[in-house]
Amino acid sequence: MKTKETGSGDCRPRPTSDQTVNHGCGNQLKVLKPNNQIRELQTVIRDCKTSRGDFVFCADRLIRLVVEEGLNQLPYKERSVTTPTGYTYHGVDFVQGNCGVSIMRSGEAMEHGLRDCCRSIRIGKILIKTNEDTGEARVYYAKFPPDIGRRKVLLMYPILNSGNTVIQAVKVLKEHVPERNVILLTLFCTPNGVRTVINHFPEITVLTSEVDPITPIHFGQKYFGTD
Amino acid sequence: MEEDLSRPRSAGSDSSNCSTGSASDDTFSAKITSPPATPSKKKQRTMSTGGNENVIRTNTRTIYTAGRPPWYNSQGQLKEAFVIGLCGGSASGKTTVANRIISALDVPWVTLLSMDSFYKVLNEEQHKLAENNEYNFDHPDAFDFDLMVETLKKLKVGKHVEKDDPCFLLPSCCSSQTQMYGANVVIFEGIMTFCNKALIDVMDLKIFVETDSDIRLARRLKRDITERGRDLEGVLKQYNKFVKPAFEQFIEPSVKDADIVVPRGAENDVAMTLIVQHVHDQLEKRGFNFRSELPQAHVNQPLPDTLHVVENTVQVKGLHTFIRNKATPRDEFIFYSKRLTRILVEHALSLLPFEDCVVDTPQSTQYKGKRFVGKQADGTVKLCGVSILRAGEVMEPALCEVCKDIRLGKILIQTNLETEEPELHYLRLPKDIHKDFVILMDATVATGAAAMMAIRVLLDHDVPQENIMLLSLIMAESGVHSVAYAFPKVKLVTTAVDKELNENFHIVPGIGNFGDRYFGTGT
Repeated sequence: MKTKETGSGDCRPRPTSDQTVNHGCGNQLKVLKPNNQIRELQTVIRDCKTSRGDFVFCADRLIRLVVEEGLNQLPYKERSVTTPTGYTYHGVDFVQGNCGVSIMRSGEAMEHGLRDCCRSIRIGKILIKTNEDTGEARVYYAKFPPDIGRRKVLLMYPILNSGNTVIQAVKVLKEHVPERNVILLTLFCTPNGVRTVINHFPEITVLTSEVDPITPIHFGQKYFGTD
Repeated sequence: MEEDLSRPRSAGSDSSNCSTGSASDDTFSAKITSPPATPSKKKQRTMSTGGNENVIRTNTRTIYTAGRPPWYNSQGQLKEAFVIGLCGGSASGKTTVANRIISALDVPWVTLLSMDSFYKVLNEEQHKLAENNEYNFDHPDAFDFDLMVETLKKLKVGKHVEKDDPCFLLPSCCSSQTQMYGANVVIFEGIMTFCNKALIDVMDLKIFVETDSDIRLARRLKRDITERGRDLEGVLKQYNKFVKPAFEQFIEPSVKDADIVVPRGAENDVAMTLIVQHVHDQLEKRGFNFRSELPQAHVNQPLPDTLHVVENTVQVKGLHTFIRNKATPRDEFIFYSKRLTRILVEHALSLLPFEDCVVDTPQSTQYKGKRFVGKQADGTVKLCGVSILRAGEVMEPALCEVCKDIRLGKILIQTNLETEEPELHYLRLPKDIHKDFVILMDATVATGAAAMMAIRVLLDHDVPQENIMLLSLIMAESGVHSVAYAFPKVKLVTTAVDKELNENFHIVPGIGNFGDRYFGTGT
């Protein structure tokens, strides 16, 4: 058998975040590398004339892109395998021990995208409601995998606006998980919101597709059709 | 790099201006004295493409069960089709001769085109005349020669041709369309095929079928009375008034333009053998055999600008590790290859042309965004996918997940194990594909031979090169070079470029036979 070594390539140090728009958040904030395709998805999601079907379709595509990039933040180790042609391929292996946690309700929209990539990943849930008068967010329910303390956590919430909801969620999570193990996946966030969250939790990682003062706060309503 | 219509005609078309048959007589006598070793070798080669039953013809489609070898060279440029003109008086046996040639050639990619489908559409008045046998169908004015020349020229340079077929006598009642594409040999037959200089110029070989006029009249009487339900008197009237004078005035004199005159039609075995041998020789001259040349052609060249490789992230690398590992079970292979394809497709879509747009948001603000230029006002999208069967088909689900309602075409290309050349077996493309951006899919690109054939097919259907994107999970460097060299405007999008090919033209380190692993048909 031949053991010729080809096809390798370094995949480690790679700046995900666009350094020019890190909004004073350093490496804690990572923004998907913008391209026209992603811009189009964001445009459709923001357009008030978009039908619900198109909205869900484009949201799911954007979610998938954010999830795939989120998975890139997870640990891995080198691994070499033999191909059917008898050559060695130097690749990587994903390290077990991750889980997802969605913030109900709109975070659940992202579970499907995660499930499509990781078929049997464990997913916890946190229910948070905001008092509409005071703007105060309160945790009503939380259910996590029992060994969550040993896992990396992909926390899912599509719209990061004021940051209040996320802060409450991370507070709950921190009772079980070290802060540095939490990666927040979000589609849209405001500069203020992300700054607030990172000031609160300096070791957390936030991954988003766009930072903009205006977020499509109708996301959950339109995604689930309750508007 | 596109085909050049003005370039001189290839070898074998030496007869273009000859007014006597002398030049081609030389050609033929040369053939007779040539040693018999070559024909037997040719025979063997063509037999390998399959038996006689390799063409299924229906009313609207022709299905080839034996493949078409490359009809272009390694620069992707076209080789012209061989056009045979067949002329002769009415009922002289032209169609029989054509069919004899087709079956004796034993080449699957032959288009038979009849002058009958180029009659001008009749108006009311002419219809009445026709019913009374008063309309002259046997006059050059009854035919649309311009359309004939245009169609033949297109077929000759390998273009896809759509032809409306008005109903012979009642054009308004029904009309169908004939799709013609992919002929190595075009046979054009009719009573006045030599009556137009421009037509003659397109032909590579001109055959005149000479049959005694008594026999022709007898055949015509029999055919018109028994098959077309006409009466004796009417047929004779038409014959004497139009058919006979036309033969004497237009058809018989045109024999001077023929390269070869065949007395007694298809019964003339010697003539048939000579013709077939000549065509075979010409095809051999035009044939290509370049797959084995491709891999070494561009060693150590920098990779082309048209190549776009998906960023080598941990996920991409991890997915590659799964699908390249020979120990990966099939369900995981399918799952992970689909995930990788999705990443590839998303990346490819970002390379399409976009335009700026402004939308209103529910937050009462405006948002400056982007829109794919192919998106139409009615919601349709000028984008379609074409998969190269079989392995390219596995990329369709991922494409459909990302592009709702996308139209899909398919092209079946198989490697002929004997010649190691790719061969085109089947194709079905969305209508009006030339207006679309086309995502061409194949799981792997090794030498690039199959991809080049598929791109050539798309170009022949008038898709502009710059609107084609070739998507593949893994490409070998040599394949990238070959395709990019032949088609410099086609975008190549992949998730990994492997350095080499081994002696069997497999990519290394590679992935093995993708189709077999995906469909479970490996050993």
